[in-house]
Amino acid sequence: METRAFASTSPQRPDWQALADKARSRRRATNAFLYTVLILGSLPIVVPYLWLFTVAFSGRAGASTTVLWLTLAILMPALLGWLGLRASIEDPRRLRHAEWLLAAATLAALAAVTGPHLHADNWRFLWISDIANRLKGETGTGGRYPSVWTAFGNSLFIALVQMTLVVAVSTFAGYYLSRFEFRGRASYLRGLLILHAFPAMTLIIPIFLLTYWVGLLDTLTGVILVVVALELPFAIFVMKGFFDAVPWDIEMSGMVDGASRRQAFFMLLLPQVKVGMLAVAVFAFLRGWEEYVFVRTLLFQKSNWTMSLYLFFMSEDVMGTDYAMVSAIGVFYVLPSIVLYALSQKYLTQMTIGGIKG
Amino acid sequence: MSRIELRQVSKRWGDVTAVEPTDLVIEDGEFVAILGPSGCGKSTTLFMLAGIYVPSEGEIRFDKAVVNEVEARDRNVGIVFQSYALYPHMTVRDNILFPLRFKKIPQHEAQFRATAAAALVRVEELLERKPGQLSGGQQQRVALARALVKEPQLLLLDEPLSNLDASLRMTMRSEIRALQRKLGVTTILVTHDQIEATTMADRVICMSKGRIEQIGSADDLYHRPDSLFVASFIGSPPINRIEGRAEGGRFLAGTIALPLRGAAAGDVVLGVRPEALRLGEGDLSAMVTDIEPHGREAIYHLTTPLGELRALEAGATPRFAVGARLPVAIASSLVFDRISGRRVAGATLEAGI
Repeated sequence: METRAFASTSPQRPDWQALADKARSRRRATNAFLYTVLILGSLPIVVPYLWLFTVAFSGRAGASTTVLWLTLAILMPALLGWLGLRASIEDPRRLRHAEWLLAAATLAALAAVTGPHLHADNWRFLWISDIANRLKGETGTGGRYPSVWTAFGNSLFIALVQMTLVVAVSTFAGYYLSRFEFRGRASYLRGLLILHAFPAMTLIIPIFLLTYWVGLLDTLTGVILVVVALELPFAIFVMKGFFDAVPWDIEMSGMVDGASRRQAFFMLLLPQVKVGMLAVAVFAFLRGWEEYVFVRTLLFQKSNWTMSLYLFFMSEDVMGTDYAMVSAIGVFYVLPSIVLYALSQKYLTQMTIGGIKG
Repeated sequence: MSRIELRQVSKRWGDVTAVEPTDLVIEDGEFVAILGPSGCGKSTTLFMLAGIYVPSEGEIRFDKAVVNEVEARDRNVGIVFQSYALYPHMTVRDNILFPLRFKKIPQHEAQFRATAAAALVRVEELLERKPGQLSGGQQQRVALARALVKEPQLLLLDEPLSNLDASLRMTMRSEIRALQRKLGVTTILVTHDQIEATTMADRVICMSKGRIEQIGSADDLYHRPDSLFVASFIGSPPINRIEGRAEGGRFLAGTIALPLRGAAAGDVVLGVRPEALRLGEGDLSAMVTDIEPHGREAIYHLTTPLGELRALEAGATPRFAVGARLPVAIASSLVFDRISGRRVAGATLEAGI
């Protein structure tokens, strides 16, 4: 009774409706601001890639930006329109319909405006295998220029073998470091971190000499071993984190249930750290695929070239470079990485380094 | 099923002794609880029985055979962990089948036994689910089914109920008890919860600091504790401890002297259970400083010449109010030697003080 009397005599009864309106408009303003910042921030990252793609499919011998501007002229209004849709339509079904319409309109506009410019000529390096020799002439040491497929195969070989080695070694090492107590364990872990902090560039001369002495200079094996050695410290650390996150009970339970230590590892533990192995595998693959410094220093024969070397020499300005084709090679080079990311991102976003799964 | 025997079994980690040399016999088909605070060595003992830890000294015998060196996987022991340790990537069916994979059992028989084990703990509806899709109680049952499916000669339960809510805990307590009676499997339960230990087990082994303090029934531990530790650990609210001296047939504490029976002498601790304090009788003067009503009973916090005491009285409504002054009588008591902590057998205050 008392509280009611108090409320009715209070001169400032809050206007709930007005407060709710205020909160809603504030929320909208915040969202609009956030989207604007995010879009502006990502433009410098997105535009160069967009440029690479447009030139790869439309450029003629030079790096014209016409198609890029045309594309942006369509994409930017479409993006703004999409933001407008998101802000104004609240019913999720109607929003989805509107989004589909917008996407269709954008694609149609793109096809109409940029369509006449598109052609596949820049991709002729794919089917003319000695195109490098034709363009650059038979100059320099190390034999004839390889076909793009040779370089692609070499890169794939380095990346895959390197990835397999890194995943296998880091998984076993991470398990051991996580589960077993041995003398020097703490300093071993510290050593791993220090090794990772070491810039690989500083090692380039010793590594060159080392590969020469063991006879692995100018071999893909040499490059693979060097990259594996440099990748391992971090990979081991990541895998140790993932194993740390798996409770001991699972192994103990498995061993009481009749499994040997090895069976418990393969049947019970490995499935729990799959995401970690996948992450290590993806990063190791990309590292091998992108490798430039060590292939440049340790490989001489052109038949050993990888994609990064192929791209570098094709863009080297000797007798006027065909930047449109270089762009196409660049797109070709980046495709496997994109495919890999697209396939694995669902799992990778579940993890954070250190193995705490969200 | 088998008879388990520990002979002078101990476990040390470097300089730290987790379990002092211990002798223990568990009869075939018996349900025994190992009770103690955390760090008392009860889980270490359990893991030694499971074969996960190797004892530093002594012998563990299953039916007379020494199994010290036998690996966990060959001991035919079932274990339920506090975390249940279900394998997250396997369905409930595969979890229960897992122990059978290592035995030469035909596929159809394994399936049959897994289904039977699931039915035993009533999870047959959940066989195709993953552990992550189960509630805590269901996971607990699956873990039980997995431990039982290989028909173990020894079932080990490591704090199996501590992750369940109160009402589920009560249900699972009686279910596990009933299951154990039905199967007759020798079972060892490790817990820090006295209610769990005393309600489920035939015998309770009370441990402290790596040593067995006392082995007995719930009644033994509560009414005839061997030591002050057991007396304090068992019972809620805990026993009242009053320090004093025993001299010439009297218990002396501060200005108070009470007639004492039995052979106690020197520094002693008087243990008085909260329900042994009778409110409104006798001639010890007390004042109520706080009351905790529990519905069925009330706990009184009293200030007396013997110190702060807690009394428990049955009844829905407290008979006294905070601040009330009243006489209190001690209906029964236990006397412990203060140095050794052992109970002085036969010593007690004269009845009705």
